[in-house]
Amino acid sequence: MRWFVSLLLITLLGLVQGLSSTGSRLLVVIEESSEKAQYSTFWDDLEGKSNNCRGYKLTFESPKNDKLSLFQHGERAFDHILLLPPKSKGTSFYTITGDVDLPSSGLGPALTPKLLLQFINQNGNILLTLSSDSPTPTSISSLLLELDIHLPPDRDSLVVDHFNYDTASASEKHDVLLLPQGSRIRSDVRNYFGGDGTIAFPRAVAQELGNSSPLLAPILRAKSTAYSYNPKDEAEVVEDPFAVGEQISLVSSMQARNSARFTVFGSAEALENKWFDRKVKSVDGRDSKTANREFAKQITAWTFMEVGVLKVGRVEHHLSSITGDAPGNDSVAQLGYLNPTIYRVKNDVTFNIEISEYSYDQLTPLKVDASDALQLEFTMLSPYHRLDLVSISQTPNSTVFSRTFKLPDQHGIFSFRVNHKRPFLTNVDVKREVTVRHFAHDEWPRSWEISAGWVWIAGVWITIAGWVAFVGIWLWSEPAYEQSKGKKMQ
Amino acid sequence: MAVEVLEPFLKGDTGRNTRGLLRLIILCTIAAAAVASRLFSVILDPWFNFRATKYLVQNGFYSFWDWFDDREASHPVAQLVYEPRKPAEEPKRTRTWHPLGRVTGGTLYPGLMVTSGIIYHVLRFLSMPVDIRNICVLLAPGFSGLTAFASYLITSEMTTSPSAGLLAAIFMGITPGYISRSVAGSYDNEAIAIFLLVFTFFLWIKSVKNGSAMWGALTALFYGYMVSAWGGYVFITNLLPLHTFVLICMGRYSPRLYVSYSTWFALGTLASMQVPFVGFLPIRSSDHMSALGVFGLLQLVAFVEFIRQQVPNKQFQTLLRGLIFVVFVVSMGVLVLLTVSGVIAPWSGRFYSLWDTGYAKIHIPIIASVSEHQPTAWPAFFFDLNLMIWLFPAGVYMCFQQLKDEHVFVVIYAVLASYFAGVMVRLMLTLTPVVCIAAALAISSILDTYLVAENPIPKETQANGQATSDSIKSAADVIKDSLRSTRNPVLGIYSYVSKASVVGAVTTYLLLFVLHCTWVTSNAYSSPSVVLASKLPDGSQHIIDDYREAYYWLRQNTPDKAKIMSWWDYGYQIGGMADRPTLVDNNTWNNTHIATVGKAMSSREEVSYPILRQHDVDYVLVVFGGLLGYSGDDINKFLWMVRISEGIWPDEINERNYFTARGEYRVDDEATPTMRNSLMYKMSYYNYNALFPAGQAQDRVRGSKLPAEGPQLSTLEEAFTSENWIIRIYKVKDLDNVGRDHGSAVAFDKGNKKKKTAKRRGARVLRVE
Amino acid sequence: MKLSGVLSLTLLSSLCLGAKRSSGGTFENYHAKSQSYAPLRLDDASYDELTATPRNHSVLVLLTALEARFGCQLCRDFQPEWDLLGRSWAKGDRHGDSRVLLGTLDFADGKGTFQKLMLQTAPIFLLFPPTSGRNAKPDGQPIRYDFTAGPQSAEQVVGWMSRYLPDGPKPAVQRPLNYVRIITVTTTLLGVLSFLSVAYPYILPVIQNRNLWAGISLITILLFTSGHMFNHIRKVPYVAGNGQGGISYFAGGFSNQFGMETQIVAAMYGTLSFATIALALRVPRMSDPKRQQLAVFIWGGVMFGMYSFLLSVFRIKNGGYPFHLPPF
Repeated sequence: MRWFVSLLLITLLGLVQGLSSTGSRLLVVIEESSEKAQYSTFWDDLEGKSNNCRGYKLTFESPKNDKLSLFQHGERAFDHILLLPPKSKGTSFYTITGDVDLPSSGLGPALTPKLLLQFINQNGNILLTLSSDSPTPTSISSLLLELDIHLPPDRDSLVVDHFNYDTASASEKHDVLLLPQGSRIRSDVRNYFGGDGTIAFPRAVAQELGNSSPLLAPILRAKSTAYSYNPKDEAEVVEDPFAVGEQISLVSSMQARNSARFTVFGSAEALENKWFDRKVKSVDGRDSKTANREFAKQITAWTFMEVGVLKVGRVEHHLSSITGDAPGNDSVAQLGYLNPTIYRVKNDVTFNIEISEYSYDQLTPLKVDASDALQLEFTMLSPYHRLDLVSISQTPNSTVFSRTFKLPDQHGIFSFRVNHKRPFLTNVDVKREVTVRHFAHDEWPRSWEISAGWVWIAGVWITIAGWVAFVGIWLWSEPAYEQSKGKKMQ
Repeated sequence: MAVEVLEPFLKGDTGRNTRGLLRLIILCTIAAAAVASRLFSVILDPWFNFRATKYLVQNGFYSFWDWFDDREASHPVAQLVYEPRKPAEEPKRTRTWHPLGRVTGGTLYPGLMVTSGIIYHVLRFLSMPVDIRNICVLLAPGFSGLTAFASYLITSEMTTSPSAGLLAAIFMGITPGYISRSVAGSYDNEAIAIFLLVFTFFLWIKSVKNGSAMWGALTALFYGYMVSAWGGYVFITNLLPLHTFVLICMGRYSPRLYVSYSTWFALGTLASMQVPFVGFLPIRSSDHMSALGVFGLLQLVAFVEFIRQQVPNKQFQTLLRGLIFVVFVVSMGVLVLLTVSGVIAPWSGRFYSLWDTGYAKIHIPIIASVSEHQPTAWPAFFFDLNLMIWLFPAGVYMCFQQLKDEHVFVVIYAVLASYFAGVMVRLMLTLTPVVCIAAALAISSILDTYLVAENPIPKETQANGQATSDSIKSAADVIKDSLRSTRNPVLGIYSYVSKASVVGAVTTYLLLFVLHCTWVTSNAYSSPSVVLASKLPDGSQHIIDDYREAYYWLRQNTPDKAKIMSWWDYGYQIGGMADRPTLVDNNTWNNTHIATVGKAMSSREEVSYPILRQHDVDYVLVVFGGLLGYSGDDINKFLWMVRISEGIWPDEINERNYFTARGEYRVDDEATPTMRNSLMYKMSYYNYNALFPAGQAQDRVRGSKLPAEGPQLSTLEEAFTSENWIIRIYKVKDLDNVGRDHGSAVAFDKGNKKKKTAKRRGARVLRVE
Repeated sequence: MKLSGVLSLTLLSSLCLGAKRSSGGTFENYHAKSQSYAPLRLDDASYDELTATPRNHSVLVLLTALEARFGCQLCRDFQPEWDLLGRSWAKGDRHGDSRVLLGTLDFADGKGTFQKLMLQTAPIFLLFPPTSGRNAKPDGQPIRYDFTAGPQSAEQVVGWMSRYLPDGPKPAVQRPLNYVRIITVTTTLLGVLSFLSVAYPYILPVIQNRNLWAGISLITILLFTSGHMFNHIRKVPYVAGNGQGGISYFAGGFSNQFGMETQIVAAMYGTLSFATIALALRVPRMSDPKRQQLAVFIWGGVMFGMYSFLLSVFRIKNGGYPFHLPPF
């Protein structure tokens, strides 16, 4: 019952303070408050004034503001950050990150790469928006470099696509991309950005994701006919563009090991009101309404931990011999056989784990794709077992996965480990250490149960009998001989 | 010393009872002295035995028998399945040999723990509630008193002079060679093993003398006890057969010998096989084969003797020859066959390294690396058994005077033990008893000669020579001539002057011996290993307490389950004082695991980090003496780590790479890259040159100047460094949160950012997904 | 291989042929040679040809200096082992499945190579991995093996090789039977046996002589207790010169010693125990009081003096040892 109550509590809390599972304090870094108006719909959606209650408490701050600080008493002052690009060209701040090579370098002392990284390390989520018509501050680009996300080397270069652009708004420049709403990057990856609308992406900044880091995942990629160039100095001919085709990631995500989320949104302009509901006309003449608003909601929902958050409920393991019936009933816990600290080799052990997924406003049972599996490792130094967990029961807001297996014939300090890391889902790494001991002296089969040992047992008894018999004969043989023998012996 | 003051009264005409009483009193005082001389300082060590004993006392014998040591004393194995227990969320548990665990019942000699357990329960039964800790602390001194008594008994078997036994007892009681292993609180197997050794020998002598099965059975009994207490039982296993064999070769076969040896062998082997750790070794390993062979030989000889009584002599000779030849050939063939086919294990490493002295260094560095296994230089001998070391040969010579069976035993024991003690410092322990016996024989014979009050009447002193009865004949008729120095009869000393001078001199030596023992014990053998004492220039003593400082830091600043990696020397101490799990500890029973630690210490960070992660190590502890000039630090032990790990991974670790081109082992600028990149080097010298003005960094142990810029650590971060830098503790970093490698993460924190990869050369890497 | 082919199209055809031959036939030629005489005796030219890249075989070259004038004792000690290894390898792998060639490059034949590799020391092993074909190593850099641990046995070298060689047949070293030795041993054994059987009656009393055994055992005991095994294991010097030309008989420090030192100590022990024996056994058996008195004083004095000297020596070894006897 305890766990159920707690889950209930969590759910209630979620309802009370907005949708995000981690918190609702959102810092919007915008340089000039005049621009706020352009994004008003976006703000409303976040604050949830309109249809649904997302209930973020927005704080608008300018990077110029010196009193701005992400941390207070060493703790995060905000749960999420939304960084809008600095509009003004050439306005320069000196960052304290030690490099003064470029005048227009930073976002001010409060938003240095170190601090932003620290914010991520303390489970804060960041949504970073870029824009081609404003230079990306070097502090940002260097932060992105640390995350192995690469931006075009020269400022204000943008992505064009001569086949998928909005003929209505960008008939010459072809720099307003029209893209179908997100398609999943891999078959076995959960898709939180789906839909059948069209997204208009005006004047986007291309990002290229490095190949090394496993934490990166593209959310929205350009079409194969897109490329990135610099309208200023590459107006005539483009050789060796920064990135082309599907390699261009317009919206890319990084989920840190502590599940903090960092999203780079290629075009801030796409979040403005004017693009939220607007007729666009594709090359082949079909005109449609943009789904930017929907898409923005999806992006912010994912980045600010409204979806794709896994919660681990009960984790329990016990000898399967104890409960024949389905686990999850409380008799096990009451008996006290639950989660013993020690097992014996070759025991049959049952392991249960309860996982629920948080989506928007409540915890829902986690469903694992058919092509994917939730796996349990039984490991000491290296896995001795790696087994697929099967879901055996579902509560309203959680799934119980379970597996029964025989422990290996090796004593030591093992650990049950569920290490489930998937793109767009928060990391699950559950580890329970148990000791696996050897057979005790009275747990081996008795000698007479081993048929191979009968020969030896018989031998022993025959020897004993023979000895007794011999002693008997010796004693009852005639005394005279015995005396003489005795003499000899002395 | 009390003994020779009392000597005249004992020799006087006072009745036997008075003498017996006096002897008893003297023995008690000796035992008291033996105990008292071991109480200079008390520190309980090693911790493992103490923990095991506590476990035994708490959970009873059987669960101790089945104990799987993950250092969590809360669950005895037996009761797990049957008794419901509260569901433990995350119990406090700290473990040894993480993560392998240890089947303790099968990998240790239970004798020590069982002994103190029994004492504990007996005292409880007598309604004397004593803390088990006190029993453990005082066990060794108590048993040293018993050892003194046992050596009195065995020496009294050697000679008729009543003083010899008492002298042997006092020697045994206060000789440093034995005190070194039995000071109060040194709770190790040797504490009881030496008593068992001596007493088993006494019983053996007794049984050979009387040829009674009872004494033989008692020998077997105590032999079994010895087996359950100490690995050194192999010494007995080979010494008794050797004695028997020599006796047979000397033509001294007798039914007495037959009875005693057969009884001992049969019962003793059975008894020894009851110890799980020994198990079937007595019939499987070559260490024990000599006993088996001699047993067979003895049966053969007995049979031959029996036949000799039946058949006339002429046929007998031929029969005998043929029989012996056939049996010899057959048995040898069988033995070789078994050894080749692997049924009989070859010599165990430790034992083999005694014979082929170069063997250990090449094949089993883990054994050669232990300081106790180094050969012994002569000062150590003199240090441990001061004047006895030169009384020893004299005593052995006197054993030749009337070469009875027991004397043969002493001679063999003396030769063998002195060889072993020469090869391994540790085996000085087995040498000490025989040295005490022999020295006592020598001194007593001098004193008996020179302490005769009245001028000699031959008959009286003759008693020395011929008090022995029948059994000497059997000796005498085999060996005709006696020693040259004892041909003509004993007359005695004529002048009081010579008596006085010699007695005075001997007394001086003995007093000097007592002083020596006291000095050695108080200076050398009574300083606990965790506290270093150093003399300041002004002569005052300065206590260096870094070890305990560091262990308490660990205890108070790290989570209960934090795994500490260190070289195995410190395993027990960390487990005991810091109460944290360690990867390896002093019980070196798993070579591979130790080699793993050695590899982690001696390879580059990139190689070590995965190892650390795999064993989920949280902290790494190194001992560094460079600042203080403390030579027992890890850099000096480092080569052993390299060798041990090279034994397992010969193509990853290579000892050669840690030496300079000129074959020197250096830590300064000349040091090889492998050396300077090794984790051990980095951890030892990290931040070290911050203590000195630039470029002045100085290692006081190696006496060398260190490189100008110190090593950089990226996967570890310094957590703690003790006052004198002797202990340094590092925390193993977690993986980087945003997926960078540690090097670049450190670089970023230092402030120098990556340069923009503006134009990447060559084919660009495309992202597949 | 393929790369060289591509290059060769653009290059001169002669070079192309040369390249092809060098990569193709070399192994077969040399392997055929090595069947007759192994290990191969190389000179600069053949060395270069063998180790030229690309090569689809491994080469193990021993760079040595056998001539007496170089005074390389190690080389000459190792040479027989090396020949044995070469022969047994050639015998073990007739068809060259292992694709390994063993060659010797003596300094006399290959000065150029030595200079090229800038070698000062010999002997040295160079193991060239294949650069083409199966299990090729991208960089053809040879693996070097120095004789730091003194002369090696053929088995050790094979063990070292087979760690770096790709999997394939690794013929073990077969040592030829040394018939002469066997015969000598057997003859001597038989001789000894016969001698014993003949001389048995004369030897028996000697064997059964107590003094003999007493002497033997005393000597062994003195030997061991004076730290002879330490010398044997640690290979300590016999004596060492002190700073100013003289000889220091006693090594400083508690835990090290010289060979001579131990002998001195053994002598001291011997004297002391002999004095003890004399006092205990000899003296009381003397019939003449005067001589006995004298003997007592002599032996007592010897014992006293020797012991005090022993103490003084021990004070050298262990500073801060408080006790001493006059006169020393």
